[in-house]
Amino acid sequence: MTNSLLFGISIFVYFFAMVLYVSYLAFRSEMLGKAASLSMLGGVVVETAALGMRWYESYQLGIGRAPLTNLYESLAFFAWTIALIYLVLERKFKIRTVGAFVAPFPFLIMAYASLNPNDIQPLVPALKSNWLIAHVVTCFVGYAAFAVSFGVSFLYLLKAGSEKRSPKSAGSFWDFLPSSSALDEIGYKTIAIGFPLLTIGIVTGAFWANVAWGTYWSWDPKETWSLIVWLIYAAYLHARITRGWRGKRAAILSIAGFAATIFCYLGVNLILSGLHSYGGAS
Amino acid sequence: MSADEPVKTAKTDGTDWIERIWNFFTSLKLVVFLLLMLAALSIAGTVIEQNKPLQEYYRFYQPGTVALFSRLGLFDMYHSWWFVACLSLLALNIAACTMDRYRGIMAGMRKKNLVIDEKLSKSLQNLTTIRYALPLDVVEKKVAALAGKGFPGKPVVTQAEDGGRHYFFEKGKYSRLSFFVTHLSILIIFLGAISGSFFGYKGYVNIFEGETVSQVETRAGRIQYPDFQVKCNTFNAEFYPSGAPMDYRSDLSILQNGKEVIRKTIRVNDPLTFEGVTFYQSSYGGQPDQAAIDVVNRDGALIGTVTAPFGGKVDIPGVADQMEAADYQEHFPMSDGADGGRAVGVNIYPVTGSPVGLWLLVNHPEYDKQRGGDTYFRVRDLKLKKYTGLQVNRDPGEILVWLGSILLIAGIMIAFFMSHKKLWISLRTDKKGRSELTIGGTANKNRDAYAKEMEQMIQSLKEVS
Repeated sequence: MTNSLLFGISIFVYFFAMVLYVSYLAFRSEMLGKAASLSMLGGVVVETAALGMRWYESYQLGIGRAPLTNLYESLAFFAWTIALIYLVLERKFKIRTVGAFVAPFPFLIMAYASLNPNDIQPLVPALKSNWLIAHVVTCFVGYAAFAVSFGVSFLYLLKAGSEKRSPKSAGSFWDFLPSSSALDEIGYKTIAIGFPLLTIGIVTGAFWANVAWGTYWSWDPKETWSLIVWLIYAAYLHARITRGWRGKRAAILSIAGFAATIFCYLGVNLILSGLHSYGGAS
Repeated sequence: MSADEPVKTAKTDGTDWIERIWNFFTSLKLVVFLLLMLAALSIAGTVIEQNKPLQEYYRFYQPGTVALFSRLGLFDMYHSWWFVACLSLLALNIAACTMDRYRGIMAGMRKKNLVIDEKLSKSLQNLTTIRYALPLDVVEKKVAALAGKGFPGKPVVTQAEDGGRHYFFEKGKYSRLSFFVTHLSILIIFLGAISGSFFGYKGYVNIFEGETVSQVETRAGRIQYPDFQVKCNTFNAEFYPSGAPMDYRSDLSILQNGKEVIRKTIRVNDPLTFEGVTFYQSSYGGQPDQAAIDVVNRDGALIGTVTAPFGGKVDIPGVADQMEAADYQEHFPMSDGADGGRAVGVNIYPVTGSPVGLWLLVNHPEYDKQRGGDTYFRVRDLKLKKYTGLQVNRDPGEILVWLGSILLIAGIMIAFFMSHKKLWISLRTDKKGRSELTIGGTANKNRDAYAKEMEQMIQSLKEVS
């Protein structure tokens, strides 16, 4: 299948992007930085083609559905959204140094996806809904924004630590990174993008659940974990209203939020059981 | 949700105990604590499976642990008193904060300062003075037009004593209300959930093809519909060649006074709603309708066939005994533990003596031979009646939940992506006869972006000639 081949290529391109982003940080060469961004863009282009091809091939098989409905497809789509949203935010906030901490995600996720069965299966009745695309896309774009925020917060902690140790070090590696206050602000802004999307994702999910199962909220593990993620970021946003919760504590909350996001996305499917078992490994 | 404008609340020392309670309920610490507390508590319910029969817990945990968890309410934790208490505290906290900030937000929307004075100028960003060689009225015309591009509403113009004029522009004033929209939306969702649990119900009903029902079973008991019935015309399940389910659909009719008022084929993602009651495709199954049973001589010669409706006695040909098809199993357990497939439970009523019960296996016609005797029975045909399993809901709070959800999304969008921007421009003629313009602005959120916007405006104002 052409889509498998294209997905396979995208793994390699993402790998190169990751290596280039790390080298950019290590050698501080603008050339490497541009090559890293281009490589990431290349990965997105190849994977866009792969997703489109998979969608098209599902029609050729007489199934005809969006490629968003099992673990393999959702991992591939997750990698794609992280890469794409990262590139958009990199351009918007000029944070190429964060790439070293975000670029590993598309590569690792795609590598993990390749270990899972990738045949195109037809949809079970519960997934045959127009809400599928709206629900999955909003959730994943939200997750991707949180992934970027995680990278930014991680860099913030490194940078803030170095600023504390040696306040002025012109020309050093640390000087190459954005200032800690800029990172703090960008971390907030990326969450400000992810949070409304997660909210829409939860609401569309509830609405869909109500149509399919006759209950908009049943405290199943997936729903509950998405609420946990929402609560953590809500706490983050409220905490920032006071000056006291900027900086380190905000960064730690942002990292905790992303850890919960990853658990909500993967941990629930792989470890816990519930209504959302479509994405499970079996 | 703004991080830019410090929150102004009238905090006092809290010597009065009412004030202390008020300060506790309006404190930001409580909000953050409750949000993180709810997140942490919620984890427990995803690790311990909720609302299972008690015996299942005994398989996983020690009896002492089961007793402890049960007492703590951990098996139904989202309805436990402590979880509900946390949610109630959050609701109180939201309500108190909304009241606490009401005056501040309303004050922010008022047009307080229309003129740049000494006090105001200290709080303005991009405060700039530009001097022109042009006459004041020419400058004024051009400036008003330029500033008007960024601020579509009409400015407030104040005449100054020295002949100058002050312009006040603003936009996005109502975005300040996003605080109320987001926070009250949560309370609306809570209200919807509460009214749903008090005035709504979730029920289940199985309807056989061709049959009509007017009542459903709920946890709290049976609910009767006095003015309508639901009829299942047909039920169909389709499967992919792999065996995975493709489609479940029930053709339903709503009857009133014996007349069909609505007919709809419902599917998993497409329920039917009538008078506030919604019917969802939930499950399906079959129950035996009648069995055709052969009476066979031991040597294999057919004596006759009995057509036995379930639950009714019929005569057995050749003998005076009667038989009744009384029971059915989808998967009959064989003595060696294997799956014997579909089986019909039959009661034989001899003329004298007590009745005998025996199982006849559809896939094993000789099974009954093991009983011994001159004749044995085998199932020739088994007719199953299909039924559709419907979930039946009534939730008057649902509409509030959706209203709250939409408000929540709208409120968050406004809170993050809109701000209340103000712009002041003062025009006057200075002592040397030049036209002097002073400009400055504020925004309640996202000040960096507004500063850039203003820089551009100031640049274009400087180019006025």
